[in-house]
Amino acid sequence: MDDQVTNIALHLENISKSFYGRKQVFEAVNHITLDVRENEFLVLLGPGRCGKTVLLNMIGGLEVPTVGTVDFPGGKNEGVGFVFQKTAVFPWKTVMENVELPLQMAGVPKKERREKARYLINLVGLAGFEDALPKQLSGGMKQRVGIARAYCSNPKILLMDEPFGALDAQTRYQMEEEVLRIWEKEKRTVIFVTNNIEEAVYLGDRIVLLSECPARIKEIYPVDLARPRDYVDPEFLKLRETIEQNTDLAL
Amino acid sequence: MDREKRKYDYLLILLSIAILLGAWIIFSQMNPKVFPTPLAAWERLVKLVERPVMKISIWGHIGISLQRVLIALAVATVLGVAFGLVTGWCPRIKAAFNPLFVALRPIPPIAWIPLIILWFGIGEFPKVLLVFIGAFFPIAQNTMAGVEMVDDMYLKVGKIYKANTWNMLRHIVFPASMPAIMAGIKISLSSGWMVVVAAEMLASKSGLGFLIIRGQESFDIALVLVGMVLIGLIGAAFSIVFTFIERWICPWMTK
Repeated sequence: MDDQVTNIALHLENISKSFYGRKQVFEAVNHITLDVRENEFLVLLGPGRCGKTVLLNMIGGLEVPTVGTVDFPGGKNEGVGFVFQKTAVFPWKTVMENVELPLQMAGVPKKERREKARYLINLVGLAGFEDALPKQLSGGMKQRVGIARAYCSNPKILLMDEPFGALDAQTRYQMEEEVLRIWEKEKRTVIFVTNNIEEAVYLGDRIVLLSECPARIKEIYPVDLARPRDYVDPEFLKLRETIEQNTDLAL
Repeated sequence: MDREKRKYDYLLILLSIAILLGAWIIFSQMNPKVFPTPLAAWERLVKLVERPVMKISIWGHIGISLQRVLIALAVATVLGVAFGLVTGWCPRIKAAFNPLFVALRPIPPIAWIPLIILWFGIGEFPKVLLVFIGAFFPIAQNTMAGVEMVDDMYLKVGKIYKANTWNMLRHIVFPASMPAIMAGIKISLSSGWMVVVAAEMLASKSGLGFLIIRGQESFDIALVLVGMVLIGLIGAAFSIVFTFIERWICPWMTK
């Protein structure tokens, strides 16, 4: 394949989303147009509470834009995988049952889906915990289950909604490293939402900086730093500083 | 350390039982005729084991009461959970059934006794039906509330992976509502015992409720006490067994 041609995995055309309350209209997302490239690690960075999750929900088909279209030029056959803010891992299912769920819902026979799930459980580093219940796992391990589950539906696009927001700092660094390792091994288009600038610079191929309510694209930063990135590398810090200056303050 | 603590817990349990027995002994001294001593009650129990009442042994009376409660509870669990799932899941169906449900729920099961005796006589079925009425509402109500309170995030997971309605209910909504359902069954368990004893007191020739009313009629107060104590013990045994069943069915619920 020609290096110059990058396929577009997702095209957002002029997306807006408003919620209509009894007395007022709340605008969450405002005129967002964006192309996401195939197998790109794209970070949506935005302050506070506004718009990011809504945008992700619209891409995932959980919500419908008020205006605009979400388009998957490569076809949306395999759907999307979703890693949720808090761990949306089901406490009543074992690690194995959680991971295989997308395939189970799709009616894939047990043997086949177990095989796939086992591979993914190994990939995220949870081998040996197949039969454990989530309550026996740490926060980081639960989010690993969430990542394996998102991969299991074999999606072209992975949506991650502040997946490490609830983790302690140490685990968070570790999981950032892990999510890149997994992504290098199983390349997908990733759209990763965060409000943490350092995390964004560490992870992203490109960083889309969103404004405070309603969410609008302020700026798109390509990150040309080689991986693995160093948090205290001068280039890293410079980009971090640039983005920080440009970020709206969240209340 | 932990074991030490547990030892104290057992001591406390023994202590509370001792206090209850002590109070019983003290108050029964005042007028043993209307309040027999624990010893008298014990002797009555021994006699009861040896001599059947209405040609039914004590085990028979316990068994028939148990049977009525368990059959009614089983049916109420199946129908109550089904009703709660459907109404909790589908607002339209809830809109249709809820007014009826809300109006019927506050009627005490015992208030149904005259009508049910009139319609169905005094056989086994009307008694089981009465217990069912007492057990159905708490289970249905709790299931409905549990379904409505399922974390939105869990439902989002189901939607993302395109779960159909059946899978959504089976894999997500039902297990997520399990704590509420279990609490409902626990409530029904005690209200079921309440109703069965009431039903047996009014129209029966067997069961623990019948023994109590029999004691009243023949001024055999020790028999009344024996009936009460047995109901208390069986109820306590039920809740212990139920706790184990709960742990077995929902291992994720315990810490």
